[in-house]
Amino acid sequence: MFYRPKIRVEDFEAAAMPHLADLYRSASLLLRDASQAEDLVQEVYLEAWKSFHRFEPGTNCRAWLFKILFHRLHHLRRRLIKASKVEGFASPTDQDNIVAEPPVPQEIRDDDILLALEKVPVEFREVVLMADVEDFSYKEIANTLKIPLGTVMSRVSRGRKLLRQELADLARDYGIRSEDEDARKGGSA
Amino acid sequence: MNVLNFNPKHCERIRSQLDAYLSDELLVETTSEVLNHLETCEDCSRELDSRTRVREALRRAVAKQSCPEGLREAVHERLRAAQSGYFMGLRITSWAVAVAALALVMFAGAASQQWLRVRRGRLLVSSVLALGVSDHVQCAIKGHNYPEVANPPDQLRAKLGPEYAGLLQVVGARLPGFQVLEAHICSVPGSPRKYVHFITRGRGTILSVILTKRERESLPAGRFLVAETSGGINLYKAHMDEMDVAGFESKDYFGFVVSDLGQNEVLQIATRLAPAVRNALAETIGAAESEAPVPVLYPDRVLRGILDTTERTGATGAGRIGGSGRLEC
Repeated sequence: MFYRPKIRVEDFEAAAMPHLADLYRSASLLLRDASQAEDLVQEVYLEAWKSFHRFEPGTNCRAWLFKILFHRLHHLRRRLIKASKVEGFASPTDQDNIVAEPPVPQEIRDDDILLALEKVPVEFREVVLMADVEDFSYKEIANTLKIPLGTVMSRVSRGRKLLRQELADLARDYGIRSEDEDARKGGSA
Repeated sequence: MNVLNFNPKHCERIRSQLDAYLSDELLVETTSEVLNHLETCEDCSRELDSRTRVREALRRAVAKQSCPEGLREAVHERLRAAQSGYFMGLRITSWAVAVAALALVMFAGAASQQWLRVRRGRLLVSSVLALGVSDHVQCAIKGHNYPEVANPPDQLRAKLGPEYAGLLQVVGARLPGFQVLEAHICSVPGSPRKYVHFITRGRGTILSVILTKRERESLPAGRFLVAETSGGINLYKAHMDEMDVAGFESKDYFGFVVSDLGQNEVLQIATRLAPAVRNALAETIGAAESEAPVPVLYPDRVLRGILDTTERTGATGAGRIGGSGRLEC
């Protein structure tokens, strides 16, 4: 009963390494620092390896890795916030002030949307990334981030709205008219 | 598309569901309701399209983010390093464990052999030093074979005979603060071994300088056994039978300084004395002595010889000599 089967690192790698790029991208977009993201991902894999014996084969390895990633990420952010080096959580009341639906440009460039994403507060950015990029269900997100399902829903919704708002602001800065504006102009003409 | 939207509140409610709809998180009934509305509402349909476009743009942009080239290898290396069974990047296999075990056994064997050598060496040193202690206790302490006032040097030289008379000056010169009260040739009852014995007084106690011929015996070398080295001579020390003794050997003789001054004090005196005594013996006897330290040499037969001698003479310690205290001087 005390026997624990020996786990080969090759088995762990076979299960975990396919998700390396996804983990790195999320870490990079959330930390906004490539070097920190690399370190974080390495730490995630080390931690995952050390606790791989607890992982049940056949369950979602990717979700498990992301759970470790976010656990470490939150720990890192808490540490950095203490040192006043990064943003804290955005105040929800600030988000409540967003009332009007922002117009979104017809053509969205990769750089623009990544720039817009960077401006979204991290607590919303992470749920948007998990839901829209990594395709996690709300339940999985709630489980990973250890927050209620309702909070996930509201953060996804607010996060997307903030992203659209940022995109619209960028477009305005560039002098690009959104299709809505075009449509309105066309309608009024 | 037919666009007839007459209910702004309904639109507002549907739009609040659009994100969950986009994430496919709505119940079937609610999804159906949203779909029904989208079919009839151009604004909401455009809104969904806008949100979908942003979502797709985000997926596309993030997917293009490349993973650093070295990251996979770095993770791989760290995993290998952390993997149990790896040490400094090398996999420890069963044969390596076997080699390590063998090395351990060999080390333990060598250590135990060394321990045995040291133990035997200490036994031999004790046996040799006991010769000096036994004569000091027997002749000087118990036998009190010295006068209160020092005998004249001429008389002492006569007692020592021409072979050892020259040593009187050496001992006197090398023991500042001590006065040579007596010098003679003596032996312990039951043993043919002869001792050249100088009895001195100083620092409130009696101190003996004793020489006796070596036969086949030799004191062992080794850092665990030798207490001091002086002029290429190894010195040994011990405390036995309430006496402190320091011993050394020349080509043909063992030399001892015995007193109750303390081991270090006695050793210091012997350190000053040993080279001079060795040289004097060489001059007197005419045999050149090697400057090199005596090599390790204590085979069984030598040890047996020493032990036989001490047993025969009862000289394994002054306390074991016996009660007669008779000296053959």
